Order: sequence, then structure tokens, then C-alpha cells
Amino acid sequence: MKNKIKNFINNGDLRKVRFWIQLISFILFVYGGYWAINLGSSFPVFACPYNGHAGATCYLISLQHQLSMPAKVLFSPAFISILIGLVTFIAWFMILNKAWCGYMCPFGTLQDWITSLRRKMGVRFSTYTQRQFEELSKIKYLFLIIALLFPILIGTGALSNNWSAPFCQMCPARVISPMFSGDFSQWRIDFSSKTNMILTALGVSFASLFFVGSFVKKRFFCFFCPMSALHYIFANTSIVKFRKDGNRCTRCGDCYAVCDMQIKDIADDVTSNNILRDDCILCLKCVAACPEDDALHFDILNIKAFSSTRQGFEKRMNLEQ
Amino acid sequence: MSNTNHNIESPKEKQNRHKAMEAIKLLNTLREDFKEPIESMEYFYDLFERVHCKHESLHDDKTKIGTMCIQIPSEIIYALDGVPIRLCNGFYTDDEIGSDLMPQKACPLIKATVGHFASGNFTDKPDIVFSPTTCDQKTKAGTTIESFGYKLIDVDFPRTKESEASREYWRRSVKQFAVELSKFQGKKLTKTNLRNAIKKIGYAQSLYHKLSEFRKNDIIPILGMDVFLVTNAFFFDKIDNWIEATEKLLSELEIRAKEKITVTGKASPRIIYTGSPPIFPNYKIPQIIEESDGIIVADETCSSNRMFNDMVAVDEWNIYDMMDSISDKYLKACTCPIFTKNEDRIRRVVQLAREYKADGVIYQAFAGCTVYEMEQRSVLEAMEKEGIPILYLESDYSPSQGGQLSTRVEAFIESLKTRRRNKK
Repeated sequence: MKNKIKNFINNGDLRKVRFWIQLISFILFVYGGYWAINLGSSFPVFACPYNGHAGATCYLISLQHQLSMPAKVLFSPAFISILIGLVTFIAWFMILNKAWCGYMCPFGTLQDWITSLRRKMGVRFSTYTQRQFEELSKIKYLFLIIALLFPILIGTGALSNNWSAPFCQMCPARVISPMFSGDFSQWRIDFSSKTNMILTALGVSFASLFFVGSFVKKRFFCFFCPMSALHYIFANTSIVKFRKDGNRCTRCGDCYAVCDMQIKDIADDVTSNNILRDDCILCLKCVAACPEDDALHFDILNIKAFSSTRQGFEKRMNLEQ
Repeated sequence: MSNTNHNIESPKEKQNRHKAMEAIKLLNTLREDFKEPIESMEYFYDLFERVHCKHESLHDDKTKIGTMCIQIPSEIIYALDGVPIRLCNGFYTDDEIGSDLMPQKACPLIKATVGHFASGNFTDKPDIVFSPTTCDQKTKAGTTIESFGYKLIDVDFPRTKESEASREYWRRSVKQFAVELSKFQGKKLTKTNLRNAIKKIGYAQSLYHKLSEFRKNDIIPILGMDVFLVTNAFFFDKIDNWIEATEKLLSELEIRAKEKITVTGKASPRIIYTGSPPIFPNYKIPQIIEESDGIIVADETCSSNRMFNDMVAVDEWNIYDMMDSISDKYLKACTCPIFTKNEDRIRRVVQLAREYKADGVIYQAFAGCTVYEMEQRSVLEAMEKEGIPILYLESDYSPSQGGQLSTRVEAFIESLKTRRRNKK
């Protein structure tokens, strides 16, 4: 019985499963408000509160607001609210780890839909060279620093209030998410101050770039996402682990070939047991594309929940005659 | 006094006769000398007999694309409507012909291959030959072969595989190869034909893997030599026929596994075979092993496991993605000793030993195959560390060495049996 369930999961069609989970969570996060669903504001996904009907919202905005409280407040009992926010965030995060990116994040899902549009049009995706990859991969940390540091500087009085939630002002999700409930008002530049002007101008350009970028490059934005960087910092707290058994790996590169994020380690690193990398979105496409039994596996509470198997590979690749 | 017609045998006839003798000797051994012969193996015995004894050609109607190593992607050849013929040669007769053309200390496989080309005596003569620049000897043999008047194209192959540069380099080489072949064939590589070729090869690979599964069992229904024959047939057979025959073999093995029919003795030690490739009819070492009550359960050689092990996967079936994935597989997963480092090969051998519950490893290098000879030390050290017994042998294609080799193999196998008894 146990083996039967295991085989059923490992032989499954990951693409379909993912599509449905993504669709449902998209509806929940983007339109949940219509059914009065409100799951809170500490979610590890880009569900933007600027969209008035979001069913739950992104932690980065609350984090930035909390951090920008006057320094005095920061060191008063009110600090507890920040702590609660953080704890809630980690609690959510612990359940799924980076699978929030690959399965739940509406902004990620949107990119996957743009990708399937491109695929249907028969256009080939583009890739980064290894050098570009290494350089660009740092940007998300830069965004994270902006999101953390600038609000604190407001709190200490070093920066004006124009800098409040600086990342959100730049964030393409702020501009794009409200569109799903018919609100296009974020497509504008805020001329109230120089700072706002620059930040919102960046926001609008990033949003435009988002559409172009994710049409040619799979998961274009995730590469730069500060949430992804934040995830990575807490990755070890999660009950979910992504592991590799290097002894079983032949470095054939199938996992690398299907990786939306172009993570080379997935194929080349045969010594790390924990193969989760900062860019990983835990979509598990690599596990589905790996022909070696148990070489890659997705563990929940140290139980193999989804493993690479040769049989599963053959099924998914349609090799049976 | 009598009027008997004395025909003087031409060199070609002599070569054919000698090769037929080599071939039939091995085939008869396989047919008759072992217990519980497998019925559906007859297809393969017969195939080799037809090609090497009766000199039947198999691909009259197709363009034959000769390959000098496994790194030339057969997926692309099939997609462009060619038949890949792997020209690595195992005949002592050809080895002797090649000896006159190659340095004395060259490896017998290269000598035999060059000798075969020199004789020009093919049942399926290649219309064009692609030679990846793998080991020194194969790389240099290309020019010799070209000088005999063959159309031969070098395909640049890197000697390191860790760097990103080597990956990109090889991807470019494979694209170049596809362009050359496409020009030669007057046919375009398309999404559809490449995808179909990947699937066909993938299916053949999946059959090989199913075959391997039987060898993981405690009761082993098939000889290692038979498996080598099956995989060697893939060098030149019509792929559809090969698939059909292998499917039949699998269903027979299924029955044998159920009925617990085995080809081994009661306590035959399980052997992993690694090193220079056994290529028909040079099954000298496998034959000694299996005649000495050992059983080869898996191998790490380019004439068998390495050829089938790794399958291609892509995310989107675009032509360039298929090409890249194919290229990566032929470079990154390759465990050939020509590469600077050999951790991958060691890991593979250790993993095979675990998965197939092997008692020991036999490492064979052709005298003159420098890279395998050089890697011997590091592999031996690694096996010692893992506690896996290993025997290193050097051999060539000559039929005369048997006695000395079999003494060593028998002693090794006896020691494995003792070791197993002591463990209990």
C-alpha cells in the first residue's frame, strides 16, 4: 500500500499537478478578498495588498512599515508586533520552504502563464551565460537590503517619509497585481517628491520590463526577488528539505536542462546533500526530469515525499511504447 | 598430377575467413558452453553470424554514418535519416592488419579499427565518418583513416568537463556536427525528427535499463557476455529490429526470473566489469570470468553501460534545447578516462557495486590504452578505501594469452568466494 502511494506520486504528471495548485492559489491570493478571505499580512509570496481584493498579503510591505517606525517605538514593547510578524512569516515559510515560489506565489504563477503563452507561440526562451547568472543573481540581495535598511533609516530620522516602503514603490507587483481586479491606477509616476518620482518611475519601468522579461526568460523576475533572498536566509528552519544523493548522480544534466532558474549546481554538485540554492523556486521540475532513482528528492519531515525515479521519468517522457 | 583447381586465397578472403573463425568460435561458446541458454538470444547470435561470417549487409538502402566513439549523438544521426555505425573494432585479424600501420604499442582497439579501414572490407561501408577527438590514439587515427580515402570529419571534444567553457565548447561542436551531417544528408534537422529520434533512443535505453534490473536480482537469469552481445549489436543493428529482439528477450527473462532459472553456479561471485571496452568478438576477459564461475552483473564500459545509461530530457521541445540537452549528456555524464579528472567514474563504479550487490570489480585495460592504464591506480585506491576487492588486468586481442589471465581471474574469484564465506 505504502509503495503503491509512493509509485503513484513519483510517476505522477508534475506539470498538471502544479498547474492546478498554482491556479487555485492564484485565485485565493488575488481574488480571495471577494469572498472575504483574509489570511493575514505575513505571507512569503508576492500577493500585493495594493490589489484591494487580495486574500492574503506579502510580508515585505508589513516588514518595511514596521521597520520604519520611529526608533523609540522599535525598542519599546511595540517591537512585539514586528516579532509577531516575523514569527508568522517564518511559520508560514516553514510549511513549504521555497515551494511558496514554485507553487503559491501569484506573481510566479503569472510568469509561468506568460511562459506557456510564449511556448504556444513557438518562441524559444533565452538564457543567461554563466557570468551573467553570477552577476545578476546578486541583485535580489541588493533589493533586500533596500527593503530592510531604508525603512530603518526613516525610523532614525535619517531619511524622509518619502522613502517609506521603498521596495514596494519599485516593485512591479505593486503595479501589476491591482490590474487583476481592474485597477490600473498604479501605472503612474508619483510626482509628489523627487524620491517618489524616481522610485515609482522605477516601479513602472520594472513592471514593463516584467512583461518583456518573463516572455523571453522563464521566471524572469524571481531571479531578482528580495523575497526569494529572504526565504533563503530562513531555508533551514523549514520542515521541507530538498536533497540530492550525489552518489546516484551521473551529471547527465537533465535537471539543469529543465531548470527555470538555470541553477547549475543541481547537476554539477555531487557532494552537497542539501541542494536548495538561493535562486531555487522548488518547482521540482528537476526531480521529475531526473532518471536516476532517488538521486533527487523532496522531503517533508525527512520523509521522501517526491523522488526521482526511472519509471517516473520514462512515463513523463512518454518513452513507453 | 590431378586437375584440382587451386585457388589462391585473396587477402580479403583470408581476412573474411579469419574473422568468421573468430566470430563463430565465440558464438558457439555462447550457444553451447553455458547452462540454461536463453532462446531469444538466438536473434543476436544469428545477427553476428550473418554480419561477420556470412558478410550480409544490413543497411543497403540507407546512408551509413560511421562513428569512432560514443560521443557522436545517434539521436541526431537518426533524425537526419542516417544509420549510425560504430566502428570500434574487436577482431584480432584486423588488429594484425592495423599493426603494420600503427605504432607497436598502440591500443589493439585502435589498431583493429584502423586495420579494418585499411582493408576496406566492410559489410556496411560507412559513407562518412565522424571522429570525436577523445583519446590521443583515436584523435590521431583519424588522419590515418582519412589517408585511405574515407571522408572523415573531426568533431572537437574537450578533455575537461568541469568548466562552463567546456560545456559551451562541446555544445558548439555538436551543433557543427549537426550542420555537417545535415549538409551531407541534404536533410534538415527539425523539431519533429529530432524529438522522434530522442524518443526512439530513449525507448531503447529504457529497455537496456529493464534488462539491467534482472541483473540486480539474487538469481541472475542472463550472462554478462550475453548482455555485452546485446549492447554490441546496438553498434550496427537496425534499431527497430534491435528493439523488437530486446523486448522478446525481456519477456523471456521475466519468465526465467519467475521460474528462478539461473545461468550461474550456487555461489558465483558477482562481478562489476570496468575498463577498456569488450567489443565483439574480443570477449576474452568476460569469457574467462564467466567460465571461472564468476558472473558479470554490471559494467562500466563504453561498449555497454555508458552507451545506454543516460537519457535525454528537455523542458521545451525546441530544437536548440534538445541539442543542448543531448550535448550535455554526451559530455558531462561521460565517464571516459580521457578526462582530466575521474571522480565521476569512481563514483559510478562504487554505485554500481552497491546497487548490484557486487562481490568484486575486475578492471581490464588494453595494453597500450594509456588512459585506462593510467587511471588504474586511482580506481584501485578508491576501491580499497570502499572495501571493494578489485583485480587489475592487462590484455590485448591476441588469442595466446589465455592461460596466464585465467589463472589470475580464477584466483581472484576463489578469493571472493572465500571472502563471502568468511563474512557469513
